[in-house]
Amino acid sequence: MSAIHPEGAGGTVAETAVRVGDVAKTFGRVNGVRALDRVDFSIPRGQFVSILGPSGCGKSTLLRIVAGLMPADPGGTIEVLGRRQQGVSPDIGVVFQSHNMLPWCTTEANIRLAAEVRGLPPAEIDKRVDELLPVLKLEKFRRNYPHELSGGMRQRAALGQILVLRPQVLLLDEPFGALDALTRDQLNVELLRLWQLMRQTVILITHSIAEAIFLSDRVLVMSERPGHIVEDIAIDLPRPRDPRATKEAPEFGHYVVQLGRLMGVD
Amino acid sequence: MHATARVAQWRQIVDPAILFIVLAILWEKAVDIFRIKPYLLPPLSKVAATFWDARMALLAESWVTVQEVLAGFALAVVGGIALGLALHAIPVVRRTLYPAIVVFQGLPKIALAPLMVVWFGYGTTSKVLMAFMFAFFPVVISTMGGLAGTPQHLIEHFKAIRATAWTTFRRLQVPAALPSILDGCRSAMPLAVIGAIVGEFVGSERGLGHLILEANANGRTDLLFAALVAISIVAGLLYLLVELAARRVWWRAL
Repeated sequence: MSAIHPEGAGGTVAETAVRVGDVAKTFGRVNGVRALDRVDFSIPRGQFVSILGPSGCGKSTLLRIVAGLMPADPGGTIEVLGRRQQGVSPDIGVVFQSHNMLPWCTTEANIRLAAEVRGLPPAEIDKRVDELLPVLKLEKFRRNYPHELSGGMRQRAALGQILVLRPQVLLLDEPFGALDALTRDQLNVELLRLWQLMRQTVILITHSIAEAIFLSDRVLVMSERPGHIVEDIAIDLPRPRDPRATKEAPEFGHYVVQLGRLMGVD
Repeated sequence: MHATARVAQWRQIVDPAILFIVLAILWEKAVDIFRIKPYLLPPLSKVAATFWDARMALLAESWVTVQEVLAGFALAVVGGIALGLALHAIPVVRRTLYPAIVVFQGLPKIALAPLMVVWFGYGTTSKVLMAFMFAFFPVVISTMGGLAGTPQHLIEHFKAIRATAWTTFRRLQVPAALPSILDGCRSAMPLAVIGAIVGEFVGSERGLGHLILEANANGRTDLLFAALVAISIVAGLLYLLVELAARRVWWRAL
């Protein structure tokens, strides 16, 4: 299974995967809207972290800044694996809420795309895709087009479109947010299974308290706009987690109550 | 379920055929009943007979018109896509050229036909240019629209996988724009036919448009109708050609 692990940066192992230092974001030069206000945190390698916040709190903006898709206001810094972030880092993979499959490409061609764009050798791409398809349970659908897949399959493929690059840091912006609750729960279990195989660093954006607790080692709670981190909570639940046993544990309930209070749900 | 599907299928053909036959009988009988003079409206049987007698001439003139239409259409598609791409991708081209294009598009192209004949003569060139001018703008506009309509989340995905501008253009924007470009080609083909016929009306020695004028001048209304039938067959076949080619692009941007 080592073949599907994220690619290490050789001998120099940075212990911190992502460091966000004093990041702020204001949209518009004059009378700007402040979306983020001095966000500061760091994430060790291999941790699964959720950023939980009400809608419109700037959590997607934060993710785009961490991904290098959007610049922060001057003064803030982003470091990924010890390197200052300038543009999109090759170590980062991003999955958004709207699936990113191309309608004119089969599942397999869609999963190959990012690797082809990066110029990986074809034999290597073949190998990675052959490993990914069964892990994503998409083997039978490799020659199907996106419109022939269910919403859940499309989001699994969207994960594959990024995992093929074996990014060390995975940024997920409500990847299953557009799906029905049942499919969403199933995919979260799948996601956890994948992460237990690959152990990348994951930052997940979500507004679901239960989802954040179930998946994460740690939950960062964001305030309403202008967003900043109001609480940093370690989730001390045993792994591997099970959708039933984990959610039935009394600690799970305590976390739900605690986070609910922070989010203003009483 | 299966039975209704089968009924629906044969009725696809039979229902329009019934209408066609009813109209044909009405035409034939109305000419008799209302004593319409043959030079105003020849009976259908006469038109059919003329069509058959003049079939070689009709075929020859059709071939002339088809060549003009195809050449004009091909120029319009190649030139229209190229200009649409340039307008989308190069800001300077867009700034300087777009207003001129909007003004030129507002001009009735029919008004240019005499000028084309004066400049390029009675031959094929002026007709090809007329067909081109009629067909050109829909292709330009649909190319620009298709490129601008690339879904934003896919553009962001390409940024996130660090694709270059060229890769994004080639692997995302062009295929995403293709359905729209082909819609432009679909509307361009009938316009190219109009352009060629208008060109032939204004000044020509060959083609179906010329045949219509000649039949008219000689009081041969039956031949005029036969030429009209030929035009509709030609236009229909040419449109079918585009439609069949366009079928290979089945996707719509999701």
